Amino acid sequence: MSTEPIKSIKDLPLDENLFPGTPACAGCGGLLTLRHCLKMLGDKVVIVNAAGCFTLLSIYPFTPFKSSWLYTAMACAPAGAQGVRDALDILIEKGKLNPGDDLKVLVLTGDGAAYDMGLSSTSGAIYRNLDFYYICYDNEAYGNTGFQQSGATPFASRTKTTPIGKDFPKKDLFEIWNSHKPPYLATISPAYPVDLANKFKKAEQYKGPKLFISLTPCPPGWSTDPSHTFKLAKLAVDTGIWALKESVSGEVKHTFVPGKFKPVEEYLKEQGRFSHLFKPERKEETLGKIQEMVNEYWKQYGVLL
Amino acid sequence: MLKLRFHGRGGQGAKVASRITGTAAFLEGCHVQDFPLYGAERRGAPISAFTRISRGTIMERGVIPNPDITIVMDQTLLSDPQAEPLAGLKKNGVVFINTPDSPAQVKDEYNIDAQVVTLDITNIGLDMLGSPIISTLAGAVASRIVGIGEESLKNAVEKELSKIITDQKLIAKNIEAAIYCFRTLELLKIKTIQTTQRQDSVIRMPFEPAKISTPSINTTASSLLKRTGNWRLFKPFWDHDVCTKCMICVTRCPEGCISLNEQGFPVADYEHCKGCMICAEECPKKGIKAVRESGSDSVEVMGT
Ligand code: SF4
Ligand code: SF4
Ligand code: SF4
Repeated sequence: MSTEPIKSIKDLPLDENLFPGTPACAGCGGLLTLRHCLKMLGDKVVIVNAAGCFTLLSIYPFTPFKSSWLYTAMACAPAGAQGVRDALDILIEKGKLNPGDDLKVLVLTGDGAAYDMGLSSTSGAIYRNLDFYYICYDNEAYGNTGFQQSGATPFASRTKTTPIGKDFPKKDLFEIWNSHKPPYLATISPAYPVDLANKFKKAEQYKGPKLFISLTPCPPGWSTDPSHTFKLAKLAVDTGIWALKESVSGEVKHTFVPGKFKPVEEYLKEQGRFSHLFKPERKEETLGKIQEMVNEYWKQYGVLL
Repeated sequence: MLKLRFHGRGGQGAKVASRITGTAAFLEGCHVQDFPLYGAERRGAPISAFTRISRGTIMERGVIPNPDITIVMDQTLLSDPQAEPLAGLKKNGVVFINTPDSPAQVKDEYNIDAQVVTLDITNIGLDMLGSPIISTLAGAVASRIVGIGEESLKNAVEKELSKIITDQKLIAKNIEAAIYCFRTLELLKIKTIQTTQRQDSVIRMPFEPAKISTPSINTTASSLLKRTGNWRLFKPFWDHDVCTKCMICVTRCPEGCISLNEQGFPVADYEHCKGCMICAEECPKKGIKAVRESGSDSVEVMGT
């Protein structure tokens, strides 16, 4: 792949490595993210998939992938990836695999596995400097089992298990991972595919853990119209709720800062999971608190005063 | 005992429809059971739900392979081998099909040997509720076919919907639309006999040896064989006259099923497009319209 940065969507690779006919919901934001990620990763990949919505992508005898795919339990995809990486390395060492035919190892998880059950296994893999990619599609709840709260569920979001809204904020997985100082770590969004693509191009230069978290709208869970998926992913970035950033060996840089931040309300009011903040009456205090949390974040980086 | 099987797509409300029918029958003093069955697939994929209604105790459990009444909430399911909504329908049974076509047309087209009732409840949903979520309407239709009274239906809709939505106005609109569907259908006589017109094939998984039943990780993109195109209610329709070939729609399709034709214009793979309408929503030229799917013909009902 050329090292020139991608400038517009017209420069994105046309090849697809994720094919249609998947069992994912119409309008799944996670699927859109994965499609772009796999375009960048190519087809020489072994996907190690922790249980979640995307373990449904391959249902015997059908697979939407060009590459190999391995299913693990929720907690142990990074451990599975270690096994695959070791096996590939042994094959190369024994001369049974040409290093040019080597495969990239990719862990694919939802937020349930990434933020909660698989966190210790991921921490171990980063700590061991395992050479792998990790993509978390974060729809902010356990989407596959009916949208129960996860460690990624944001403050005030309604889920099956937080019917009146969650009363504490989301875990900061980026910061948890960043404290391990991995070679490359980024947040991405399906609404910013050029930013996403360039992050994969950059990550390619590093050996070791390359981690990506994508905030991905989920129409059934968020109670949104499938056609609004892209719009919501973009609003999350443009309101400052989802910061697009990267970290190289622990040093954080924002890759995109909205020129003018939209009020968070624009993002919240579109979604059924936040509808209790607007109906039957407006919950000014909660809305104010969410805006304040976003402002605090950006102040910390000197973007807002 | 009357046994009903509902066939819908994830998100259309088959489960709620079966609940409404069950609750309405319960309010008429019957014993009832209702439950859904989901596959591994997600919103838009075929699902079924079941209702048993009896004057006496119901001892039977499990899915209903031989329904007296089948409610098909989406006409496209009739030709879906995964759904097989007509499988096991009893002789003289009733099948309701959500379609603008007449019963005679549908009977002919799908070779159905049963009493056929049709009504375009998706259109009624769009007109009266502003959305194609048709749980209440399918519940109303089923209640009518079963012979439940209007008052019980009304109360059942209210009771079931209050559990899932808080918007009182929307509940009132649903009741109005339900009564409209209920009154539009004529009362039928149902007297079924056990023989079935099609082979009973509801979920019978053969036992396969490990070599076959273990997924092969070497297969490439075999999902293309799965036609997810019939998940959709609306299909995107391109107007190449206004298209500037900006590629935005191509980039924003989660399924990756928009490609470029020889002239560089986007075209969709309708065999797989799930009809999410992100492409239509995002096209800066408004060059993609959402066109309603209805059987073989498509009627334009919604600008984008
Ligand atoms: S539940 Fe949400 S994340 Fe899961 S497949 Fe559906 S849209 Fe995607
Ligand atoms: S409606 Fe458009 S964006 Fe959605 S699956 Fe079909 S072609 Fe893709
Ligand atoms: S988004 Fe609209 S203008 Fe752009 S390529 Fe697609 S149809 Fe053409």
